[in-house]
Amino acid sequence: MILRRYIPIGIVAFFGSLTLFGWFIENESIEAFVNDDATQWYDIIASFAIFLGALNLLKLQFLKVVKRQSGWQYSVIAIASFFFAFIIGFFMKGAFFVGEEVFFTQRAAENALLASGSSDSVRAVEWGAHISTEGGLFKWMFDNIFTPLSATMFALLAFYVASASYRAFRARNFEATLLLLAGIIIMLGRVPIGGLITPWMIMYLLVFVATIFANTYLKSRKIVFGVFVAGLALVTAMGTSMGWNPTEPAIFYLPSLQEWIYTVPNLAGARAIMIGIGLGIIVTSLRYIFGLEKSYIGDQ
Amino acid sequence: MNNQQLKTYILGFVGISLFTFLLSSLPDSIHFFKSERTVMFILLLTIIMVMFNEVKQARISSDSIFLRTIPGLKAVEEAVGRSTEMGRPILYVPGIMDMNEVETVAGVIILGHVAQMTAQYETNLDVPVARSIVMQAARESCKEAYLTQGRPEMFKEDMVHYVTDDQFAYAAGVNGIMQRDKPAACMYMGKFYAESLLFAETGNSIGAIQIAGTASQAQIPFFVTACDYTLMGEEYFAASAYLSRKPELIAGVKTQDMVKLILISFIGAALVSRALYDLGLTNFNLLNFLGL
Repeated sequence: MILRRYIPIGIVAFFGSLTLFGWFIENESIEAFVNDDATQWYDIIASFAIFLGALNLLKLQFLKVVKRQSGWQYSVIAIASFFFAFIIGFFMKGAFFVGEEVFFTQRAAENALLASGSSDSVRAVEWGAHISTEGGLFKWMFDNIFTPLSATMFALLAFYVASASYRAFRARNFEATLLLLAGIIIMLGRVPIGGLITPWMIMYLLVFVATIFANTYLKSRKIVFGVFVAGLALVTAMGTSMGWNPTEPAIFYLPSLQEWIYTVPNLAGARAIMIGIGLGIIVTSLRYIFGLEKSYIGDQ
Repeated sequence: MNNQQLKTYILGFVGISLFTFLLSSLPDSIHFFKSERTVMFILLLTIIMVMFNEVKQARISSDSIFLRTIPGLKAVEEAVGRSTEMGRPILYVPGIMDMNEVETVAGVIILGHVAQMTAQYETNLDVPVARSIVMQAARESCKEAYLTQGRPEMFKEDMVHYVTDDQFAYAAGVNGIMQRDKPAACMYMGKFYAESLLFAETGNSIGAIQIAGTASQAQIPFFVTACDYTLMGEEYFAASAYLSRKPELIAGVKTQDMVKLILISFIGAALVSRALYDLGLTNFNLLNFLGL
């Protein structure tokens, strides 16, 4: 009980308080601990913990292959990739230079040297540097296998954003319609064509939208027609009086409108969420530091 | 809040302010306090005072603190039930960051509660993780949950398994698990970056009920779009209290609300103060006072 409960809680309380209150204390040792040592300790522990993860990964993949579970073929690729990366990281570095030419193996480099008859010698790159040196096997794997695969996953986001946007922008209710309108305004306002759409065009569109709403709620067609004609007349009169200025009134000019949506309602909402998150983090951290929340050590 | 509590808070605040003033006024030979952080120090001690007082009140009071219903958390049990009925596993992703992120810790804590439910319902739980330390912490949390539910035999260490540290490789691994195992429920609780939408859209494509919780502000819209329920910001940090119903944890949520009230009052007062200064009706400049 003491080992599994009180000692971990004590450690969290001590180091948590030290880190928290160390921010207010003028002391070089504490500052060095909080800013550098503590994070370095963590990095060291995390580096060693990777062995646990790697062993777990191998164990599960081997079991999958041995038991011929569904998709075991992928596990074979995972195991092969693991050992490939392991070997080229720790045992075969590659990057043997003959002049400017680079070879993956020492033998290939020596053969090339013999064939050229040059008095040059084979230069091998240092261990450690091989993972970032051009011509190194690890670097080759990183550039030609790992990076394209990561980029592929990242590129999938473009398609997912499209499908997610399609779902989000379906005008199912009032909020979704607002989101749709805001989305259209932001998208149009941020591209060059948005700047070419005059506010007057938007205002005429709004007259049409207002007419649709009027038609929904008012029974008299004459009144609906009146709203439509009055709206058109009002916009035309305003346009004539303002000389059909292509950027005025700014509230209907898409680049200005999108800027306003982005910097006022959007920012206000984002800040409200941010304050909530900040408070949540503070109180949650204090709960851990003072031992009120013990679930992280398994205490339910 | 009754009169006694109000008196405690006022007295406490005065005491904290005096204590901070004393610290700031120490002679140079023994001065160790960073005076430029006075306001933050007072705020921090005030939050700690409010929290401890609320916890004390919650422990001695017979009345339970009202906690509004959070649909996302209510849906957790529904999701576990659905998985049980369908005979499919539950996928729980505790984010892609390490245990030094408070969001990951919160995610592991919520995992404990989810594990209790899966133990009760005898449903399979699958927790792929991106960090080895998270793997160990999550295992402990799950093990304890299965023990408390009296189902230690159902706990398997490999239900929490490591995939990789790399962001997109992890996303590919988890998406692969989703496509192959077709979990009935997917839960994403932790810190996420660009992979959030990859998870949520894949989960959506397999028809899983999806519940997300994160404090990563940039990822909230993606989760809101693609998931059935999303715990936004502070809701996510209230999840542990909501699920455990422990009075001292709920008191922590109440502390958040109390501090929010203080902040709202402060924002209001600051607005008025700034407006009066700008109108030339007062010489007190709040920004100078705060050292901004």
